[in-house]
Amino acid sequence: MSSPKMIPRHTKAGIFIHWFNAACWFFLLFSGLALIQNPELNPLGAWYPGAVRAVFGGGANLLVAHWVVALLWLAVWVVYLFWGMNRFVAPFLHSTFTLEPNRDIQWMIKKNLQMTLGYKMMAKLVKPLGYDGHLPPQEYYNAGQKLAAQGIIMGALVLIGTGFIMLFSKYFLTAADTWLVQWSITVHFIAAGVTTALLILHIYMAAISKEERPAFISMFTGTVPAEYAKHHHQLWYEELEEK
Amino acid sequence: MAKQLGMVVDAGLCIDCKGCMAACKVANEVPGDNWRNWIKSGDADWQAKKRGRMVFQPGNCMQCDKPSCVSACPTGATYKSKADGVVVIDRGLCIGCGQCIKACPYGARFRNEKLKVADKCDFCSSRRAVGLEPACVSTCPTKARAFGDLNDPASPAGKLMAQNKDKATQVVNAHSNTDPNIYYLGDAGLKSWPVKAQMPGAFEFWKNLADPAVKVVVGLTGLGVLAMLGKQLMLKNDAPPPEEHGEEGHHE
Repeated sequence: MSSPKMIPRHTKAGIFIHWFNAACWFFLLFSGLALIQNPELNPLGAWYPGAVRAVFGGGANLLVAHWVVALLWLAVWVVYLFWGMNRFVAPFLHSTFTLEPNRDIQWMIKKNLQMTLGYKMMAKLVKPLGYDGHLPPQEYYNAGQKLAAQGIIMGALVLIGTGFIMLFSKYFLTAADTWLVQWSITVHFIAAGVTTALLILHIYMAAISKEERPAFISMFTGTVPAEYAKHHHQLWYEELEEK
Repeated sequence: MAKQLGMVVDAGLCIDCKGCMAACKVANEVPGDNWRNWIKSGDADWQAKKRGRMVFQPGNCMQCDKPSCVSACPTGATYKSKADGVVVIDRGLCIGCGQCIKACPYGARFRNEKLKVADKCDFCSSRRAVGLEPACVSTCPTKARAFGDLNDPASPAGKLMAQNKDKATQVVNAHSNTDPNIYYLGDAGLKSWPVKAQMPGAFEFWKNLADPAVKVVVGLTGLGVLAMLGKQLMLKNDAPPPEEHGEEGHHE
């Protein structure tokens, strides 16, 4: 079997920031969940905070670990944002925040049906909408990836803002202003919940679904087969062809 | 019965000298305008006996059996100690959100002016660690406050509790009884001052709306992913219609 033609998709810096980000999110999610301990909340049950706190030697240590990793995560991101602003960040934001409603709404409807019911059922179900059974061609990021990126970026900004209020309230808030800390906790939880839902989808699509397997592998190797690019990101592929 | 530290106070003995308040402030290094304990003045009764009468009610954190402050704490930084029933604060875990302060019907909690986190009476844990009674109890010149394990008849407070089983009263709000562990003998004086124990808005919103909503969103996402996994396993040869392979696959 001849090896398929590969085309570059991710830079080394992109691969690094992805996995660094993944490790930090993972840690922050599971340490953050363990910082909630109240019989009326306990998202994973009362055993969970107890078990994690035992590992860290108490809730106070867990809290320190949570914000140390959070600040480290943020510091690396700040460096990445400044260093890669022109090369990676601006193009990423431009492409993930640019949607083409007609094409992308259609893609979202079709892709969701196809992922859960298969191409045949999808074609039948979208017929009344005047759609055919083909997924509209996609750019470097498909519509789902764009929406997920938007949600996670906005969720991250909310998490950072509320996290800062909680961490530094002692230094800039008066006793009368602590309502801001109270709402920060609640909003931090909501933002973490929404981004977690998006991450569940992201992890399934990349690591478990067969169709996107080449994209998953490219997060290690940096390259995807030309065939995959042609079928999954046709507009991007055509753009590359033109160059 | 489990150990429950508490106080039995004879309000009739209190002369409002504020010695307990001063002693507490020194013993616990309570800063500025913050106070861990109080003396509530009742209304003067000028008809009583010859000279008139006024009841003073000494108090501090009641180390309640159903503490609303603990219910309002999202991190478990404040909790009721299993060892002695005292409601304590883990200052390292407290992020200073102040929800416990709002939730306490007695206003027993405050934001420590120096530490900027919640603070309150803990029956002088540092003094108890070296075998001393709480500072307010030691210093009281009329011995209005008795301290100890309420369930141990050998302790000063437990002895009074055993002797006055039916007569000792709690000072509680009529709409939210947190079952406090400070009992009063005889006329406790002012009774109606505790406010209704209420959870702060941000906590109520979290508990009633945000928590179920996030669980539903994450749960539905999980179900969606499971549906995709099911399809992936059932329909092994799910391929797009053949036309898609051509460049002009979109016209039929």
